[in-house]
Amino acid sequence: MQAVVVTITSGKGGVGKTTCTANVGCALAVLQKKVAVVDGDIGLRNLDIVMGLENRIVYDSVDFIEGRCRLRQALIRDKRAPELYLLPTAQTRDKSAISTAQMVQLCDELRKEFDYIVIDSPAGIEQGFHTCLAPADKVLIVTNPEVSSVRDADRVIGLVESQEKGPAQLIINRLVTARVKKQEMLSMEDIVEVLSTDVIGVVPEDEMILMSTNRGQPVALNGKGPAASAFHHIARRLIGEDVPLQVQQSNTSLFQRLFGRG
Amino acid sequence: MNTFKQLLNKRNSVDTAKQRLRFVLIHDRAEIPPGMLDMIKDDIIAVISRRVPIDRASVSVSIDSAGQENRLLVDIPLLAEERRNKPDSAKRKL
Repeated sequence: MQAVVVTITSGKGGVGKTTCTANVGCALAVLQKKVAVVDGDIGLRNLDIVMGLENRIVYDSVDFIEGRCRLRQALIRDKRAPELYLLPTAQTRDKSAISTAQMVQLCDELRKEFDYIVIDSPAGIEQGFHTCLAPADKVLIVTNPEVSSVRDADRVIGLVESQEKGPAQLIINRLVTARVKKQEMLSMEDIVEVLSTDVIGVVPEDEMILMSTNRGQPVALNGKGPAASAFHHIARRLIGEDVPLQVQQSNTSLFQRLFGRG
Repeated sequence: MNTFKQLLNKRNSVDTAKQRLRFVLIHDRAEIPPGMLDMIKDDIIAVISRRVPIDRASVSVSIDSAGQENRLLVDIPLLAEERRNKPDSAKRKL
């Protein structure tokens, strides 16, 4: 096996990278692929809790790099999908704990065993970002339909290109279709026009996401709703299926719909 | 009237967002802050107007970005013959 390494990143923080990583990983696993989701945000461990696997961590990627365990011992098997594994990171270390060369080496080890490696990268342009960019075969940049995250996405698109890891593709996250219709929110077309970058998927705002994160059950595993189906579409595009891009109706609360916010 | 304006503003907030994004991305990509363009403009006006009379108020300096390529676009209208002969009107624009 020779895995494809997909790095998920963003310019701005808080746009939903970890949620996207968890769900894209789960959706690939649902498609019968052997998947490892890797937390690349050393010191700010989060992928474990979003996946609902936080109680099962014994070793992490830094333990493997520093020779305290074998790679297999650090990988946590997620039994909810046929072949899904999490490689957690250290919570009490900083970005320098894994060098760029070590990250490439770690992914090369994983490549032998998996179909897809999905890395949750830190935001922005710090060292941790370059560490997660180095092993990437494909880069997905998460942005929200809002000026500051779109601006920051442009910066990261440029960096990805300058490292010859491009062309990156966009995940537009948390789009509220009703607000786009009312011209209160940037549409997919607006963002594509401004960034001249291809979109791999549009994830509509969906109140299921917060609840599924509360429970540690990514929507893409068995959930229904517009976000879950958007993540499945992204996974199918990643494996090369020709799935037409369509923006699904967002799923917001009755209150928000009544007051025209959803 | 005010509420009418607010309604219009609200409807156009996406267009405003796009316009502002385009502007800011052009400057981000070229690594030239918007304020520096004003300084460049002042320098150009000073240099050119030493040789030929120009319409200072209408000089524009902007960045045009197409793909990876950025270029500085400078538009300097020369003063028309009849206005050149009336130095007062030209000077008032200083």
